[in-house]
Amino acid sequence: MPDPFDDLRTPIVPTEPDPVFAARLRARLERAFTLPKGATVSDLSIDDRQSDADLARQGDVVYASLWVPDVGRAAAFYGAALGWTYGQEDSERSRDVVGAAPHIGMWQTHEAHTLFLCYGVNDIDAAVDRVRDGGGQAGAPTREPYGVVSNCVDDQGVAFALYALDASDPTPRGPLNGSRHGDISYITHYVPDSARTRAFYGEVLGWRFQPGRVEDGWQVEDVAPMSGLAGGAQKAVVVPMYRVDDIAAAVERVRAAGGTSTDPAQQPYAITAECTDDQGTRFYLGQH
Amino acid sequence: MSGQAAAGSDPEGGLLALYDRTLPQVYGYLLSRCGNRAEAEDLTAETFFAAVDAVRGDQRVAVSTPWLIGVARHKLVDHWRRRGREERELRAVPTNEAFEDPWDVHLDVLAARRTLERLGPHHRAALTLRYIDGLPVPQVATILDRTVHATEALLVRARAAFRRAYIEHEADDA
Repeated sequence: MPDPFDDLRTPIVPTEPDPVFAARLRARLERAFTLPKGATVSDLSIDDRQSDADLARQGDVVYASLWVPDVGRAAAFYGAALGWTYGQEDSERSRDVVGAAPHIGMWQTHEAHTLFLCYGVNDIDAAVDRVRDGGGQAGAPTREPYGVVSNCVDDQGVAFALYALDASDPTPRGPLNGSRHGDISYITHYVPDSARTRAFYGEVLGWRFQPGRVEDGWQVEDVAPMSGLAGGAQKAVVVPMYRVDDIAAAVERVRAAGGTSTDPAQQPYAITAECTDDQGTRFYLGQH
Repeated sequence: MSGQAAAGSDPEGGLLALYDRTLPQVYGYLLSRCGNRAEAEDLTAETFFAAVDAVRGDQRVAVSTPWLIGVARHKLVDHWRRRGREERELRAVPTNEAFEDPWDVHLDVLAARRTLERLGPHHRAALTLRYIDGLPVPQVATILDRTVHATEALLVRARAAFRRAYIEHEADDA
């Protein structure tokens, strides 16, 4: 009888790594040759490796914008509920949350109650082509004060943006589950058709998926912040989880500020509560 | 002449050219074994830094694709060994009763890979070298720094642990 373990044999399949990683490692190898003869490069490699792990990668969320009908009201609500403070306004329709990682903003619109996401990509022109090839729309990349971006809509009508990661001016990688009270610690994409979403973002951002714990639930592998996908929704919406230090107190503050919240429940990864703000925008709280 | 960088007149140019040609193979080898992009990138970097040390060192080593894969394999095992040390204190002592009755199945490759990822690092290392890489037991023993006898015993326990986890996984999916 054949040994079933023989089925495991896996030949080496050459796989192109992330081009930013490949270019950076090549530069580090070149630098290693400039060290004095006799010195080994192990210390150098450890230092460099840590700094590499701290940089945003393609598919990471580098900026999130909370879309709300009334930005002043939302600013007051999240200030009271989560302690957010805001930088100088450059528009009456927007706010900029101070100190959040990844960066969070607010935008006043009646288009949708959702979290608009901006993803890092290595080559924005190529990424724009992938969006269009995948049945989405992508605007020509434009240079803004903070970098080169393209505004896009996916093939199911969800708006998002691409941000060009620049190896010469690297973007720090945000924490996987937030690091401070008020940070985004998890992102859930509720979508009508998860297979289409997986195909689209798999192609555009290189996302890979693991089956999650719920029916038609998927975990996006190795992105910051950690993100998941849930199929079968009536309408697409992106729902953030905000990290809190004390979930019982945070739930009280949400309710006191005019929002709703379930009672906190222990999940495998955190104690969570499901909430809406006082304008009906969904979010979760998570004590990690 | 392809796939070689000897410590000759231009070790740097030779190694960088080798890097350009072999990076997808080294990275592909590591990614498929460790299943995690960040770990595969770290281990790929460690592998090529070892190559830099080798061509800059005194030993006139001919760095080739098989040499790089051999180093990558060692880096992978070291990585699992470190993880094994970290996890040892956290893990309950596993029950190690071995199934030795024949197991007549065809393994689903994806399910098998996920099962491997859930095993302890020492079991994962032994099964990866023996079955994923298809190395003979004496070579597995050398890489794991164990005797052949101890390696055979480890493989029996690792196969049992795999089989238990695989069956559990199938039950979870059903």
